[in-house]
Amino acid sequence: MKSEQQQKGVTKTVKKVKVNKKAPVRLWVKAVFTGFRRSKVQQNEKQALLKIQHVDDVSSSRFYWGKRVAYIYKAHSLKNNTKFRTIWGRVSRSHGSNGIVIARFNRNLPPRAIGSTLRVFLYPNRA
Amino acid sequence: MSISLEREKHQNQLSQERLIPGQVLILLAGRFQGKRVVFLKQLKSGLLLVTGPFKINGVPLKRVNSAYVIPTSTKVDVNGVNAGQVDDLYFKRTQAQRRKNEQGFWAKRGELTAEQQTAEKTRLEGKRKTQKSIDDALIAAVKKTPLLKQYLGARFSIGKTTRPHDLVF
Repeated sequence: MKSEQQQKGVTKTVKKVKVNKKAPVRLWVKAVFTGFRRSKVQQNEKQALLKIQHVDDVSSSRFYWGKRVAYIYKAHSLKNNTKFRTIWGRVSRSHGSNGIVIARFNRNLPPRAIGSTLRVFLYPNRA
Repeated sequence: MSISLEREKHQNQLSQERLIPGQVLILLAGRFQGKRVVFLKQLKSGLLLVTGPFKINGVPLKRVNSAYVIPTSTKVDVNGVNAGQVDDLYFKRTQAQRRKNEQGFWAKRGELTAEQQTAEKTRLEGKRKTQKSIDDALIAAVKKTPLLKQYLGARFSIGKTTRPHDLVF
Protein backbone atom coordinates (compact mmCIF):
# COMPACT_ATOMS: atom_id res chain seq x y z
CA MET A 1 0.00 0.00 0.00
CA LYS A 2 1.45 3.37 -0.98
CA SER A 3 1.43 6.21 1.48
CA GLU A 4 2.57 9.81 0.97
CA GLN A 5 4.29 10.43 4.26
CA GLN A 6 5.50 13.86 3.15
CA GLN A 7 2.05 15.44 3.15
CA LYS A 8 0.99 17.58 6.05
CA GLY A 9 -2.49 17.38 7.43
CA VAL A 10 -2.79 13.71 6.56
CA THR A 11 -2.70 11.07 9.25
CA LYS A 12 0.80 9.69 9.26
CA THR A 13 0.96 5.95 9.73
CA VAL A 14 3.21 4.74 12.51
CA LYS A 15 4.15 1.51 10.75
CA LYS A 16 6.64 1.65 7.92
CA VAL A 17 4.84 1.50 4.59
CA LYS A 18 6.02 1.79 1.02
CA VAL A 19 6.80 5.47 0.53
CA ASN A 20 5.82 7.27 -2.66
CA LYS A 21 9.14 8.54 -3.98
CA LYS A 22 7.64 10.79 -6.64
CA ALA A 23 7.65 14.56 -6.27
CA PRO A 24 4.73 15.79 -4.19
CA VAL A 25 2.06 17.77 -5.99
CA ARG A 26 0.79 21.06 -4.69
CA LEU A 27 -2.92 21.59 -5.07
CA TRP A 28 -3.14 24.64 -2.91
CA VAL A 29 -2.20 28.26 -3.36
CA LYS A 30 0.11 30.03 -0.94
CA ALA A 31 -1.35 32.86 1.04
CA VAL A 32 0.19 35.05 3.67
CA PHE A 33 -1.77 35.89 6.78
CA THR A 34 -1.12 39.62 7.02
CA GLY A 35 -3.18 40.33 10.09
CA PHE A 36 -6.70 40.69 11.35
CA ARG A 37 -9.18 43.11 9.90
CA ARG A 38 -8.74 46.22 11.94
CA SER A 39 -8.79 49.93 12.30
CA LYS A 40 -5.93 51.76 13.93
CA VAL A 41 -6.72 50.82 17.50
CA GLN A 42 -9.22 47.99 17.22
CA GLN A 43 -9.06 44.63 15.47
CA ASN A 44 -11.58 41.93 14.68
CA GLU A 45 -9.96 38.56 15.25
CA LYS A 46 -12.84 36.80 13.55
CA GLN A 47 -11.72 38.11 10.18
CA ALA A 48 -8.26 37.23 8.92
CA LEU A 49 -6.72 39.13 6.04
CA LEU A 50 -5.01 36.91 3.51
CA LYS A 51 -2.70 37.95 0.70
CA ILE A 52 -2.98 35.15 -1.85
CA GLN A 53 0.03 34.75 -4.09
CA HIS A 54 -0.35 36.29 -7.58
CA VAL A 55 -3.76 37.72 -6.81
CA ASP A 56 -3.65 41.46 -7.38
CA ASP A 57 -7.18 42.65 -7.97
CA VAL A 58 -10.75 42.04 -6.94
CA SER A 59 -11.80 40.16 -10.07
CA SER A 60 -9.00 37.64 -9.56
CA SER A 61 -9.83 37.24 -5.89
CA ARG A 62 -13.42 36.31 -6.75
CA PHE A 63 -12.20 32.90 -7.84
CA TYR A 64 -11.18 32.15 -4.27
CA TRP A 65 -14.49 32.96 -2.63
CA GLY A 66 -15.67 29.96 -0.64
CA LYS A 67 -12.42 28.09 -1.03
CA ARG A 68 -11.20 26.29 2.03
CA VAL A 69 -8.12 27.56 3.82
CA ALA A 70 -5.88 25.75 6.27
CA TYR A 71 -3.42 27.05 8.80
CA ILE A 72 -1.01 24.24 9.56
CA TYR A 73 1.27 24.27 12.54
CA LYS A 74 3.37 21.88 14.55
CA ALA A 75 2.87 20.98 18.14
CA HIS A 76 4.94 18.90 20.49
CA SER A 77 2.55 16.12 21.30
CA LEU A 78 1.05 13.56 18.96
CA LYS A 79 -2.61 13.85 18.13
CA ASN A 80 -4.20 11.58 15.54
CA ASN A 81 -0.76 10.05 15.02
CA THR A 82 0.79 13.29 13.84
CA LYS A 83 2.47 16.40 15.21
CA PHE A 84 0.85 18.60 12.59
CA ARG A 85 -2.37 20.38 13.43
CA THR A 86 -4.67 22.47 11.32
CA ILE A 87 -7.19 25.22 11.71
CA TRP A 88 -9.66 25.18 8.86
CA GLY A 89 -11.52 28.11 7.45
CA ARG A 90 -12.97 29.54 4.27
CA VAL A 91 -12.37 32.58 2.15
CA SER A 92 -15.45 34.66 2.71
CA ARG A 93 -15.03 37.93 0.81
CA SER A 94 -12.64 40.33 -0.83
CA HIS A 95 -11.06 43.23 0.99
CA GLY A 96 -9.97 46.38 -0.74
CA SER A 97 -9.01 46.63 -4.39
CA ASN A 98 -5.65 44.84 -4.45
CA GLY A 99 -6.67 41.24 -4.12
CA ILE A 100 -6.62 40.87 -0.36
CA VAL A 101 -9.20 38.46 0.87
CA ILE A 102 -10.96 37.90 4.21
CA ALA A 103 -11.07 34.41 5.62
CA ARG A 104 -13.05 33.14 8.56
CA PHE A 105 -11.85 30.18 10.52
CA ASN A 106 -13.56 27.60 12.71
CA ARG A 107 -11.41 28.86 15.52
CA ASN A 108 -9.73 32.24 15.19
CA LEU A 109 -6.16 32.22 14.04
CA PRO A 110 -3.50 32.70 16.70
CA PRO A 111 -1.58 36.00 16.37
CA ARG A 112 1.67 34.13 16.03
CA ALA A 113 0.43 33.05 12.63
CA ILE A 114 0.76 36.58 11.30
CA GLY A 115 3.26 36.52 8.46
CA SER A 116 3.04 32.78 8.03
CA THR A 117 1.92 30.93 4.93
CA LEU A 118 -1.53 29.44 4.78
CA ARG A 119 -2.89 27.00 2.24
CA VAL A 120 -5.80 28.03 0.09
CA PHE A 121 -7.19 24.91 -1.54
CA LEU A 122 -8.99 24.80 -4.86
CA TYR A 123 -12.10 23.18 -3.42
CA PRO A 124 -15.08 23.58 -3.26
CA ASN A 125 -14.95 24.18 -6.97
CA ARG A 126 -17.79 26.45 -7.95
CA ALA A 127 -17.17 26.24 -11.71
CA MET B 1 -36.62 20.14 1.28
CA SER B 2 -34.02 18.52 3.46
CA ILE B 3 -30.46 19.78 3.12
CA SER B 4 -29.17 16.58 1.49
CA LEU B 5 -31.90 16.65 -1.15
CA GLU B 6 -31.09 20.26 -1.97
CA ARG B 7 -27.41 19.40 -2.26
CA GLU B 8 -28.21 16.50 -4.59
CA LYS B 9 -30.37 18.73 -6.74
CA HIS B 10 -27.56 21.33 -6.88
CA GLN B 11 -25.01 18.70 -7.84
CA ASN B 12 -27.32 17.34 -10.50
CA GLN B 13 -27.77 20.78 -11.97
CA LEU B 14 -24.03 21.40 -12.08
CA SER B 15 -23.25 18.12 -13.75
CA GLN B 16 -26.01 18.36 -16.31
CA GLU B 17 -24.88 21.77 -17.36
CA ARG B 18 -21.19 21.18 -17.67
CA LEU B 19 -20.03 17.60 -17.46
CA ILE B 20 -20.05 15.20 -20.37
CA PRO B 21 -19.25 11.50 -20.00
CA GLY B 22 -15.69 11.03 -21.14
CA GLN B 23 -14.54 14.40 -19.87
CA VAL B 24 -11.23 14.44 -18.06
CA LEU B 25 -11.43 15.76 -14.50
CA ILE B 26 -8.72 16.77 -12.08
CA LEU B 27 -9.19 15.48 -8.54
CA LEU B 28 -8.55 18.20 -5.98
CA ALA B 29 -8.40 16.34 -2.71
CA GLY B 30 -7.85 12.98 -1.18
CA ARG B 31 -5.36 10.25 -1.88
CA PHE B 32 -5.49 10.84 -5.63
CA GLN B 33 -5.24 14.61 -5.58
CA GLY B 34 -3.89 16.06 -8.80
CA LYS B 35 -4.71 12.94 -10.79
CA ARG B 36 -6.49 13.30 -14.07
CA VAL B 37 -9.39 10.88 -14.34
CA VAL B 38 -12.14 10.10 -16.80
CA PHE B 39 -15.71 10.97 -15.86
CA LEU B 40 -18.10 8.12 -16.61
CA LYS B 41 -21.51 9.13 -15.35
CA GLN B 42 -23.36 10.74 -12.53
CA LEU B 43 -24.78 8.42 -9.91
CA LYS B 44 -28.18 8.75 -8.29
CA SER B 45 -26.64 10.14 -5.13
CA GLY B 46 -25.32 13.09 -7.12
CA LEU B 47 -21.72 11.92 -6.91
CA LEU B 48 -19.67 11.49 -10.04
CA LEU B 49 -18.42 8.08 -11.11
CA VAL B 50 -14.84 8.28 -12.36
CA THR B 51 -12.08 5.89 -13.24
CA GLY B 52 -8.33 6.41 -13.77
CA PRO B 53 -8.27 4.14 -15.79
CA PHE B 54 -6.62 2.06 -13.11
CA LYS B 55 -3.79 0.80 -15.32
CA ILE B 56 -2.84 4.30 -16.37
CA ASN B 57 -2.82 6.22 -13.12
CA GLY B 58 -3.86 3.90 -10.33
CA VAL B 59 -7.28 5.43 -9.75
CA PRO B 60 -9.98 2.75 -9.51
CA LEU B 61 -13.70 3.14 -10.07
CA LYS B 62 -14.45 5.88 -7.64
CA ARG B 63 -17.19 8.20 -6.52
CA VAL B 64 -16.26 11.84 -6.33
CA ASN B 65 -18.05 14.97 -5.21
CA SER B 66 -18.29 17.48 -8.05
CA ALA B 67 -17.08 20.26 -5.75
CA TYR B 68 -13.76 18.47 -5.35
CA VAL B 69 -13.05 18.24 -9.05
CA ILE B 70 -11.94 20.58 -11.83
CA PRO B 71 -13.39 19.68 -15.24
CA THR B 72 -11.03 20.09 -18.18
CA SER B 73 -11.80 20.50 -21.84
CA THR B 74 -10.16 17.20 -22.73
CA LYS B 75 -12.59 14.45 -23.65
CA VAL B 76 -12.24 10.74 -24.15
CA ASP B 77 -14.60 8.79 -26.34
CA VAL B 78 -16.66 6.58 -24.02
CA ASN B 79 -19.05 5.15 -26.59
CA GLY B 80 -17.74 1.66 -26.06
CA VAL B 81 -17.77 1.87 -22.29
CA ASN B 82 -20.63 0.37 -20.37
CA ALA B 83 -20.76 1.61 -16.78
CA GLY B 84 -24.40 0.68 -16.41
CA GLN B 85 -23.94 -1.93 -13.71
CA VAL B 86 -22.09 0.42 -11.37
CA ASP B 87 -24.27 2.38 -9.00
CA ASP B 88 -24.17 3.61 -5.42
CA LEU B 89 -24.83 0.12 -4.11
CA TYR B 90 -21.52 -0.98 -5.67
CA PHE B 91 -19.71 1.26 -3.19
CA LYS B 92 -21.70 0.40 -0.12
CA ARG B 93 -19.56 -0.90 2.72
CA THR B 94 -20.30 -4.45 3.71
CA GLN B 95 -20.61 -5.63 7.32
CA ALA B 96 -17.37 -7.56 6.97
CA GLN B 97 -15.56 -4.44 5.76
CA ARG B 98 -16.87 -2.33 8.59
CA ARG B 99 -15.89 -4.86 11.16
CA LYS B 100 -12.41 -5.61 9.86
CA ASN B 101 -10.69 -3.00 12.02
CA GLU B 102 -12.34 -3.86 15.28
CA GLN B 103 -10.04 -3.74 18.26
CA GLY B 104 -10.08 -4.52 21.93
CA PHE B 105 -13.40 -5.68 23.26
CA TRP B 106 -14.92 -6.09 19.81
CA ALA B 107 -11.87 -7.76 18.24
CA LYS B 108 -13.55 -11.14 18.13
CA ARG B 109 -16.46 -9.71 16.23
CA GLY B 110 -14.03 -8.32 13.65
CA GLU B 111 -12.53 -11.68 12.78
CA LEU B 112 -14.08 -12.86 9.57
CA THR B 113 -15.70 -16.27 9.50
CA ALA B 114 -14.79 -18.67 6.74
CA GLU B 115 -17.93 -17.86 4.79
CA GLN B 116 -17.39 -14.13 5.24
CA GLN B 117 -13.88 -14.51 3.88
CA THR B 118 -15.06 -16.33 0.77
CA ALA B 119 -17.81 -13.75 0.35
CA GLU B 120 -15.17 -11.01 0.50
CA LYS B 121 -13.05 -12.84 -2.06
CA THR B 122 -15.94 -13.17 -4.48
CA ARG B 123 -16.90 -9.56 -3.98
CA LEU B 124 -13.37 -8.36 -4.73
CA GLU B 125 -13.12 -10.64 -7.77
CA GLY B 126 -16.35 -9.14 -9.06
CA LYS B 127 -14.98 -5.63 -8.52
CA ARG B 128 -11.78 -6.44 -10.38
CA LYS B 129 -13.83 -7.79 -13.28
CA THR B 130 -16.01 -4.69 -13.49
CA GLN B 131 -12.93 -2.45 -13.27
CA LYS B 132 -11.22 -4.41 -16.03
CA SER B 133 -14.23 -4.45 -18.35
CA ILE B 134 -14.72 -0.70 -18.10
CA ASP B 135 -11.03 0.14 -18.29
CA ASP B 136 -10.25 -2.07 -21.28
CA ALA B 137 -12.77 -0.23 -23.42
CA LEU B 138 -11.52 3.10 -22.11
CA ILE B 139 -7.83 2.38 -22.63
CA ALA B 140 -8.57 1.36 -26.23
CA ALA B 141 -10.15 4.78 -26.78
CA VAL B 142 -7.33 6.56 -24.92
CA LYS B 143 -4.66 4.93 -27.07
CA LYS B 144 -6.16 6.49 -30.19
CA THR B 145 -5.21 10.00 -29.14
CA PRO B 146 -1.48 10.73 -29.04
CA LEU B 147 -0.13 11.63 -25.60
CA LEU B 148 -3.51 11.18 -23.90
CA LYS B 149 -2.19 8.21 -21.93
CA GLN B 150 0.74 10.25 -20.64
CA TYR B 151 -1.62 13.12 -19.91
CA LEU B 152 -3.84 10.92 -17.77
CA GLY B 153 -0.81 9.49 -16.06
CA ALA B 154 0.59 12.87 -15.13
CA ARG B 155 -0.56 14.77 -12.08
CA PHE B 156 -1.67 18.36 -11.98
CA SER B 157 0.36 20.57 -9.70
CA ILE B 158 0.52 24.27 -8.92
CA GLY B 159 3.95 25.67 -9.61
CA LYS B 160 5.68 28.86 -8.54
CA THR B 161 4.00 31.06 -11.12
CA THR B 162 0.70 29.25 -11.61
CA ARG B 163 -2.36 31.42 -11.18
CA PRO B 164 -5.38 29.10 -10.79
CA HIS B 165 -7.76 32.03 -11.18
CA ASP B 166 -6.32 32.70 -14.64
CA LEU B 167 -6.04 29.12 -15.81
CA VAL B 168 -8.36 27.89 -18.51
CA PHE B 169 -8.88 24.22 -17.92
